[in-house]
Amino acid sequence: MTSLREVQSALRLALLGGDDEPARAWIRGDGLEPVARIAIYRHHVGATLTAALRATFPVVCRLVDERFFAYAADRYLQIEPPSGPCLFEYGAGFADFLADFPPCRPLPYLADVARLEWAMQSARHAPDAIPLSIGALREMAPEMAASLTLAIDPSVTLLSSPYPVDRIWRVNQADEPEPAVVDLGAGGARLEIRRCGDDVVVRALDPPAFAFRRALAGGAGLAAATAEALASDPMFDLGKAFTELFAEGLPIALGHTPSPGGEEP
Amino acid sequence: MIPGGAEAALVGIGLRAPHAAEILATRPPVGWLEVHTENYLGGGPAPRALERIRRQYPIALHGVGLSLGSAEGLDRRHLARVVDLARRIDPMLVSEHLSWSIAGGAYLNHLLPLPYTEESLGLVAAHVTEAQEAFGRPLLVENPSSYLRFRDSTIPEPDFLAELARRTGCLLLCDLNNVFVSCRNFDEDPGAYLDRLPPAAVGEIHLAGHSRNEADGRVILIDDHGSRVSDDVWALYERALERFGPRPTLIEWDTDLPALAVLLDEARRAGTVLARSRAGGGARDLAA
Repeated sequence: MTSLREVQSALRLALLGGDDEPARAWIRGDGLEPVARIAIYRHHVGATLTAALRATFPVVCRLVDERFFAYAADRYLQIEPPSGPCLFEYGAGFADFLADFPPCRPLPYLADVARLEWAMQSARHAPDAIPLSIGALREMAPEMAASLTLAIDPSVTLLSSPYPVDRIWRVNQADEPEPAVVDLGAGGARLEIRRCGDDVVVRALDPPAFAFRRALAGGAGLAAATAEALASDPMFDLGKAFTELFAEGLPIALGHTPSPGGEEP
Repeated sequence: MIPGGAEAALVGIGLRAPHAAEILATRPPVGWLEVHTENYLGGGPAPRALERIRRQYPIALHGVGLSLGSAEGLDRRHLARVVDLARRIDPMLVSEHLSWSIAGGAYLNHLLPLPYTEESLGLVAAHVTEAQEAFGRPLLVENPSSYLRFRDSTIPEPDFLAELARRTGCLLLCDLNNVFVSCRNFDEDPGAYLDRLPPAAVGEIHLAGHSRNEADGRVILIDDHGSRVSDDVWALYERALERFGPRPTLIEWDTDLPALAVLLDEARRAGTVLARSRAGGGARDLAA
């Protein structure tokens, strides 16, 4: 398959890297220069992938305006083109790209707004999962409690930011009548983003609940997650937090850390 | 029962998300709906809505992501996801394109053209066979719209498709707008293109709109699915029905999506052309 591979990698270079040279030798003119023919395809690739990113990151687009967004998207898609054909899965690295993109430096909160929008997009399309009943814990030996791990609903993201990104997101919705002023110094956000039914819900959590859930979602055992929560607030109520977790349907499976007790603080 | 009889039952429209609620609420008289497979491969509300709609209409799964012409082989993980969706939806048909869109692991989001050579014919045939085995059913393969051709191509596109169907047992999705766009862009006769396709292999027809653009002073037609079907393509539809017989026909619309009523109006027109072609007596019965 040498020649077909060559043709396809040459066209890939032309469509994503902008280097037409290797591809043009393969293409017939027929009354229009090969580079003009390649340009028709390049335009479509760039426009549709930019549109896919705009659909996933509408608030980022609004914050930087359409033209700058198209410029940033064009740079991003050359560095990180989609790895598969489901475009709702495209853009996982866009927030990190924006964080390192020098022209975005005057907007330090932009990457975290992108992280919030990516979390919402992921929640919308995450696999469906069945919540675990708290009754499942009855099977568990009490001495295993410290090393208990919980697999969390795959639609959940726990996102923290030094900026009030939830408020920035809210005041930049299309139906928001007046552009509001957001005080960037008003404090950060600790957010839980997940899908409930058909809707994506963004909720602010208090610091210990956020620390507890983020540790569990990261695969920590119950003892380690509790230690995280207590470090955030010595008055953390484990029983209440644990009950709420199940009442909200977050755990979907039980497990254990590899070496029981190894997670002790 | 679909008002308008057998002809209306053959005509479908592309289901696009902004129309989904209205279709569920009003149950418009179309025979079937086609969706873009790749929009339904996650979890959550999109596939749930599709399962609801499936209870009311036959669904065709139209894929853009299998990249049947990729030299690096089929993405088996993607194929498995599509097979899983097909199991849940039980579609009336599964279609894909004669094109490629993946190179070096990057998905280029375009139905890119292939050089039509023995090498690419063998490769696409192997991929179609692999996909058909995974689906447990024949695939319909659509002719692409094209804006460039390769120096190495030795096989005319309709001959390539005919041979692909002969080797693999796949059916052909004849997109008449693509036939028209590609032929006009290369000064060829769209009618002569149709004459080279084997009628028994044609399992479906697509109708859509295109736009006229200029590139370096030359008119290039772009298959943008953003307007009504052109008069030229309606004329080609009559000719196709005369040659192939009545076939399931889809009205496709993707950019600048209009009100659902506009798509239904185009579908009615297709039903009228279908009825006329049958009454004319020149049409053959649906191929077995």
